[in-house]
Amino acid sequence: MPEITKTVLNRVEGEITLKLIWENDVIKDAFIIAPNFRGFEFILEGKPPLDALVITPRICGICGHAHLMASTFALEQIYKSAGYKLEISEKARLIRNITLACEIIQNHIRWFYIFVYPDFLSLENKVSLKDFEPIKGKKWRKAVDFSSKIVKIISIFGGQWPHTSYSLPGGVMCEPTNMEIVSAVGIVDEVLRYFEEDIIGMNIEDYLQITSLREFINKSSGDLATFIKLSKKFHLHKTGRAYNRFISVADFDTLFCSGITSRKKRLFDIKKVKEVDTYSYLLKDKSFSFDKKKYSWSKAVRYEGLPYETGPLARQINSENQLFLNLNKKLRDSYLVRIWARVDEIGKLLVFVKNCLKKINIKEPSYIKPVKDIKELEGEGYGLVEAARGSLIHRVSVKEGKIKDYNIITPSVWNLGPRCRKYLSPAEKAIIGQKSELTAHMILRSFDVCSVCTTH
Amino acid sequence: MYTLLWLQGLTCNGNTQSLLNAENPSFYTLFDKINLLYHPSISYDVDLFEIINQIKNDKLPLTFLVVEGSITSDKRFFSIGDYSIAQIIDALKEKADYIIAVGNCACFGNIPANFDKNSDVKGLQFRFKEKKGFLPSNFKSKKGYPVINISGCPIHPQWFVSTILNLLYKKPVYLDGFNRPKELYMYLTHDGCTRNEYFEWKVELEEFGHKEGCLFYNQGCRGPLTHSPCNKVLWNNTSSKTRAGMPCIGCTEFDFPLRENFFETKKNMGIPEEVPIGVSKRVYITITGVAKTLKNERVNKRLEETE
Ligand code: SF4
Repeated sequence: MPEITKTVLNRVEGEITLKLIWENDVIKDAFIIAPNFRGFEFILEGKPPLDALVITPRICGICGHAHLMASTFALEQIYKSAGYKLEISEKARLIRNITLACEIIQNHIRWFYIFVYPDFLSLENKVSLKDFEPIKGKKWRKAVDFSSKIVKIISIFGGQWPHTSYSLPGGVMCEPTNMEIVSAVGIVDEVLRYFEEDIIGMNIEDYLQITSLREFINKSSGDLATFIKLSKKFHLHKTGRAYNRFISVADFDTLFCSGITSRKKRLFDIKKVKEVDTYSYLLKDKSFSFDKKKYSWSKAVRYEGLPYETGPLARQINSENQLFLNLNKKLRDSYLVRIWARVDEIGKLLVFVKNCLKKINIKEPSYIKPVKDIKELEGEGYGLVEAARGSLIHRVSVKEGKIKDYNIITPSVWNLGPRCRKYLSPAEKAIIGQKSELTAHMILRSFDVCSVCTTH
Repeated sequence: MYTLLWLQGLTCNGNTQSLLNAENPSFYTLFDKINLLYHPSISYDVDLFEIINQIKNDKLPLTFLVVEGSITSDKRFFSIGDYSIAQIIDALKEKADYIIAVGNCACFGNIPANFDKNSDVKGLQFRFKEKKGFLPSNFKSKKGYPVINISGCPIHPQWFVSTILNLLYKKPVYLDGFNRPKELYMYLTHDGCTRNEYFEWKVELEEFGHKEGCLFYNQGCRGPLTHSPCNKVLWNNTSSKTRAGMPCIGCTEFDFPLRENFFETKKNMGIPEEVPIGVSKRVYITITGVAKTLKNERVNKRLEETE
């Protein structure tokens, strides 16, 4: 008789339940249950289009800014598809990139120290890791401090983080002074120094030259290197593998490329994205079903019928980054590689933010008023954004001055959604074969679980 | 021993994320004085249900029961393990010295209470304006307070930290009509906004994206109609939405998600339909007329060009 365990998983964004089927002490099947539902897509229906800018960020407290950008882009596309020119200044474009990148940096720092590291306290002897102890540990506290510091930049441009709605079709609402911009540069420098000293244990220029695991751990004694050594000790460099197929739906300026990589890299095509509701309480026609086999509020999403992993590792692979191509070749899409990709992004994004800040010309307009009120338009628009956890897709249709339909596919739906008839979701697949519940939880956390986004 | 237990209902976790941003003092320094029993995003080796049982059986004292998120008793839409959030709060409500609702969802129901397919979504003691929340209107926790509402979508971290410290140091917390700490919510969002000069002289912001001009007249700013110290205790110790150029959307008030067209000012013959708290429409029109006929050269120039 197979044995079944069901655990409420904490230390993720929101709560998720993991149901595991065991046979001879090995996990034979895994069900990721997202049990909570707020109904954002329903609530948005019938609202004035611009109100989406206020409502969608509130889907998620840690990546709400990405939702703001997705709503902005989706609404902007309605202008374009209706044949109207919509101008955005380079300044507004830069500022949007800056604030989105800062949210991702914040996310990755918090996640690595608050969600990932504490697992090793349960695996390893606690004394050597006491700096990582939640609430009390020095390193835990430092991570909270620096992740809070970087979002001050969002506050400079958007007034606050979380939950500003300072971006709208036509640009941004702020008009920063040069002094504000350079104080943001100062903040980046401080966080970058922290990244160098604590996380990678070397300077960023040297780090960006690294192309292999061995080279890195020979040169570094930072928290990332400690993490890598611990992962190897517990064999986590070779487990937690999913499908080794990667999706990124949008370019992140010139930093990361969109694309689809299974064996070869191809271009992403939105038309090939399909939602599947076989195991979801929420059906595609927006009705509910509590049929016995259903187990999650999240729908599944497939590209050409196949599950794909999204997120930082997908971005690195689709951008053909040498270090991650090498790691992937050797270790595939393992726990270690997936997490390293997230931590790696912190450095790249910090450098990117600094460059963008320097490029802002304050003489340019922040906002160029669209030629028409969006309420006078009709049509459909997509907003594609690479958020902290990967590919975020908003689709909005507007009719008679109101939102007619709003559909959201979050990164967590790609990674942690339920199965379809043929395939498990990437995270479900990655857990199978594990022999301990703790490592199953760790692997699930390596996807940076956000249950509030998974179901919204 | 002081203890704190943090529960989440239907939420985006934004209040937790906001709290992590706290400075002077930081969120975590609270726990030099208080034992954090459980927080879903932070704890790593405790079992929530074991903690709940110990509290229920008086084996563990509960000083602060903190709830983030709206409450529903419908397990199809929200559950933690086999329980609804309503069942868990029910089990603990008599045990806590203080119950604190953080964020508009826990206070008033907020956005999730607008989902019409689940009509059983509420705040802890309010549902929007009415005292028809999950707990009865006359409910008081062990220390004699109703649920203390720290409203906002999300809350500013300092509002929470100050409230907890105030209670720890045994200072009374005065509450307003919505059971919010008066010393925080007696201010209007408008108080301290860098655009006050333009408000006084009725100089409107024509279009988004400028430092100059007040957002009250065209962009829907709720600053003079909203209770919060957003421009007194700055966000991320840095700025505020209205300072940056985004209108206040009134997110500390019960009716936040009931309103629409956040970026427009509803007007009647050129006059905002809703006038600042404390003034009658007549007074407002008079003062606007006066301000507009008198000239202030400074407010009509770009800030860089002023003397
Ligand atoms: S922008 Fe809003 S908060 Fe600022 S002065 Fe004008 S009305 Fe007041």
